[in-house]
Amino acid sequence: MSEVVKLQLIGLSVVGTGIIILLFIQSKFLRVIGFVAIVLGLFSLVALAVPQMASLPPAEESIDIASIKTPADMASIGQKIFFSKGQCALCHSIGPSESARCPDLKGIGAKLSRDFIFESLTQPQAYIYLDYRHEGLPKEYPARMPYINKNPIGLSKNEILSVIAFLQQMSGEPISVNPSELEMPGAAPAAPVKSAQSETVTVAQAH
Amino acid sequence: MIEQLIRLLANSPAAVAACVAAAGALIAPAIGLAADSGAAGAVAYRDVPFVGSRNLVWIIAQLHLLLAGFVLGVPIFAWLCEVVGWRSGEKRYDKLAKEFTKLLSSAYSTTALFGGILLFILIGAYPKLMAYLSDIFFPSFMVYCALFLLETATLYMYWYGWDAMSEGRGKVFHIFLGFMLNVFAFFIMIIPNSWATFQASPVVIAEGSDLARAWAATWNPTWWPVNIHRLIANVVLGGYICGAYAGIRYLSAKGPEEREHYDWMGYVGNFIGVFGLLPLPFAGYWLMREIYQYNQQMGITLMGGFLSWLFILQAMLIGVLFLGSNYYFWMGITHRIPGSEAQYKKPILTMLVILLLCLGVWMTPHSLVASLEEAQKMGGTHHPLLGVFGVMSAKMTVSNLMVLVTFMSFLMYWQAGKQATVGWARVAKAVMNALLVLAGVAVISLGVYGYFVPAIIRINYFSTSQVGIVLFVLVTFTLLTSAILKSAKTTTEMVWGKMPPRAGYSLVLNAVMVVLLMTLMGYARSSSRVHWHVYGVMRDSSQYAFSPALGYAAALMAANTFFFCMIVAFIFWVATMGDKAKAGKDGHGKDEMGHGALPAMAGGSPTLDKQS
Repeated sequence: MSEVVKLQLIGLSVVGTGIIILLFIQSKFLRVIGFVAIVLGLFSLVALAVPQMASLPPAEESIDIASIKTPADMASIGQKIFFSKGQCALCHSIGPSESARCPDLKGIGAKLSRDFIFESLTQPQAYIYLDYRHEGLPKEYPARMPYINKNPIGLSKNEILSVIAFLQQMSGEPISVNPSELEMPGAAPAAPVKSAQSETVTVAQAH
Repeated sequence: MIEQLIRLLANSPAAVAACVAAAGALIAPAIGLAADSGAAGAVAYRDVPFVGSRNLVWIIAQLHLLLAGFVLGVPIFAWLCEVVGWRSGEKRYDKLAKEFTKLLSSAYSTTALFGGILLFILIGAYPKLMAYLSDIFFPSFMVYCALFLLETATLYMYWYGWDAMSEGRGKVFHIFLGFMLNVFAFFIMIIPNSWATFQASPVVIAEGSDLARAWAATWNPTWWPVNIHRLIANVVLGGYICGAYAGIRYLSAKGPEEREHYDWMGYVGNFIGVFGLLPLPFAGYWLMREIYQYNQQMGITLMGGFLSWLFILQAMLIGVLFLGSNYYFWMGITHRIPGSEAQYKKPILTMLVILLLCLGVWMTPHSLVASLEEAQKMGGTHHPLLGVFGVMSAKMTVSNLMVLVTFMSFLMYWQAGKQATVGWARVAKAVMNALLVLAGVAVISLGVYGYFVPAIIRINYFSTSQVGIVLFVLVTFTLLTSAILKSAKTTTEMVWGKMPPRAGYSLVLNAVMVVLLMTLMGYARSSSRVHWHVYGVMRDSSQYAFSPALGYAAALMAANTFFFCMIVAFIFWVATMGDKAKAGKDGHGKDEMGHGALPAMAGGSPTLDKQS
C-alpha cells in the first residue's frame, strides 16, 4: 500500500469520524469538532488527489581541482560559483535587468583587466562605482560590494580565479587565467589572499 | 521518520497512544543524542526520533505563527472597538473590546510559550543555521527582546486597568495604552519577518558595524511586502477566529440574551474578517511580484514548478472563504431583517452564480496530468478550453470580481432595512450602479486584453490597473454609502439572535479556511527556498532538504490546524471559566440575565454592566 493510499485512508477515517459525531452526539462543542474534522479530512483528500510532486535537492557537487585541465573548465566552475556560493547574482545581472541592484556585468571581462577584477572582488572599496543610468548627479548603488574573500561569502583564491575566468568567457574574451595558477590543497599559497581558504570547493548546482 | 510513524498508525491504531507518549518522552534527550557529528563544535544538524526535526519545527513554528497572528491581529480591532465605544458612548462596543482583549491576554502567554519552544528546538536541531542568523541579526534580537518587555508591560496595564481607567482622562490614557500596544505589536511582527524574509530573499552583507549589517539584512526585497501581507492577514485571522468563538458560543447559548450577544459578536467578527480579506489578494499580488523581481526562478518554482498545484488548493480555500463569508452576510439579511427574503433573493442568487463561476475559473489548472493518448487528443497538456482559464490573466480577473461581489454583499447588508433621506441619494445610487458596471467591464476587458500582450506589460500595467479599479470602487462606495446612511431612516429593525445554527457553523468554517490558508502559504513560502536554508547562500544539507509532496504536506497542515483549533478552544475556555463561575455564584443564570449584563461573554466588567 503506497503512502498516498494510507494517507487517503486516514483522511477518510477522519471524515467518517466527523460524520459519526454529527449524527450521534448532541454536545455542541463536540459537534463543532466533528464538523472541523470533516472539513480538514476533505481538504487532505483533495490535496492527495492532485499530482504528488516532491522537490528533491540536487546532488552536492564537489570540485576536484586535479580534474581541472583547461581554462574553460575553470570558467564552468566559475559560472556555478557566480550563481551559488559567490552570491554574485543576488545583486548583479548579466544583461539588462530591472531587478538588478548593482552594475550589469555583461561584457565586464572585456572592459576590465583581470587584475582590476581581482582587486574589485577583494578590495571593493578601492574604487567606488556610481550609477549613471539616470539624469542628474550619479548615485551610489543600493547595495555595497562586499569583500568576496571574507566571511560570510569567503571565496578562496581558486574560486575567485574561476569566477574571473567565467566573466572573461562570458564576455567573449580569451581566458587569461590558467589552471596552473590554482593552489592545490595543502600547498603553500603563491600569492596570499586575505582570509581566503584554499580548500576543496563545494558548490550547489546552479538552477 | 514521519512516514514510518504514519505506516505504524495505519497498521495499528492502538499504537497511536504509545507513539505519542514515547515521542514526548524521547524528544528532549534525543535532541542531544541524535547529532549528525560527534564533534560538539561542528554539529550542523540534530534529528528528533519518530517525528523528525524538520516536522517538529514545522509543527511548532506553525502553531507559534498562528497564535502570534491572532495576538497581533486582535489588538488592532479590539482597540478600534474601544475607540468606537468611547466616541459613540455605546457601551456594548467597550464590552466587546474588553472581551476581545480577554481572549488576547490568555493567548499571549501561550504564544510566547510556543515561541520559546521553537527557539530551543531551532538551536538544538539547526545549530549551524542559527549561528549564521545570530551572527547577522544579533542586534535585532536585542531590539525584539526589548519590544517584548514593552509589549508585555503595556498589555498588563491595558487589560488589568480596563475598569480603573474607564472614565474621563483615565479612558484617554487607556486608549493611548491600546495604541501603544499596537505599535509595539507591529514592530514585534516585522522584526521576525526580517529573519524569515532574509532566508527567502537574502541580500549581500557588506562590511560594517553589527547594526549596519543587521539593518542591511533586514531591509531585504520581500520584507515590506510580507509585513503588509501579514499585518492584513493577522486582522483577517483575528476577526474570523473571534467570529468562530462567537459562532460556537451562539450554538451553545442557553437564553435569548446570550444568543443576541453572540449573534452580534459573530457579525462583528465576520465583518472584520471580510474587511481584511478584501485587500489581502492585492497584498499577496504585490508579494508575488516582488518575489519574481527578486528571483524569477523562485517565482517560477512557486507558480509554475512543483508548487503550481498548491495554488489550485489555495484557490479552493479562498473560494470557500469568500462563499462562506458571503453566505453569512446573506443569512444575516434574510434572518435578521424580517420580510427581506423575497426582496434580496434574486441579487443573492446572481451573486452566488458569479462567485461559483469565478471560483471555477480560479481553480482551473494551467496544465493537466494526462496520458499520452489523452494529451494527443487534447493537442498537448493544455486543454483547449480549460487552458484559456488556467492562466494568470483569467485568475487575476476572477479574483478581482470575487472581491467586488463580496463587497456588494456587504453593501447590501449595510443598506438593508434602511431608507435614505438625503435628496441626492438617488443620484448617488445611480452613479454607484454605473461605476459598478463600468468597473466590472473594465476588469474583464483588461483580463481579456491581457492574453494578447507580453507578460511584463500585463503584470506591470494591466493587473495593477485591475487592482486600482477595484480599490477605487471599494473606497468610493464606502464613502458614498456611509454619507447616505448617516441620516437614513430605519424601516426594519435588525433582529439579533434569530440566525439558524448553520450560521454558527459557517463562522467556524471561515476560521478553519483562514487557518488552513495560512498553513498552506507557509508551506509555499518555505518550499520556494527549495533546498536552501538561506536562498542561494546557505544550502540545506540535512536529510530533510527535500520539499515533501502536497498530499503529505496537507496532512500536516490539517493536523496543525486541528492542534491550533484545540489550543484556541482551550485558551478561550480558560479565559471565560472565571466569569462563568462568578455568574453562577452571584445567582444569575444565563437565562435570567438582563440585557447587557452578560459578564461571561461581554468582557466581565461588573462596573460597566451597571453603568449600561
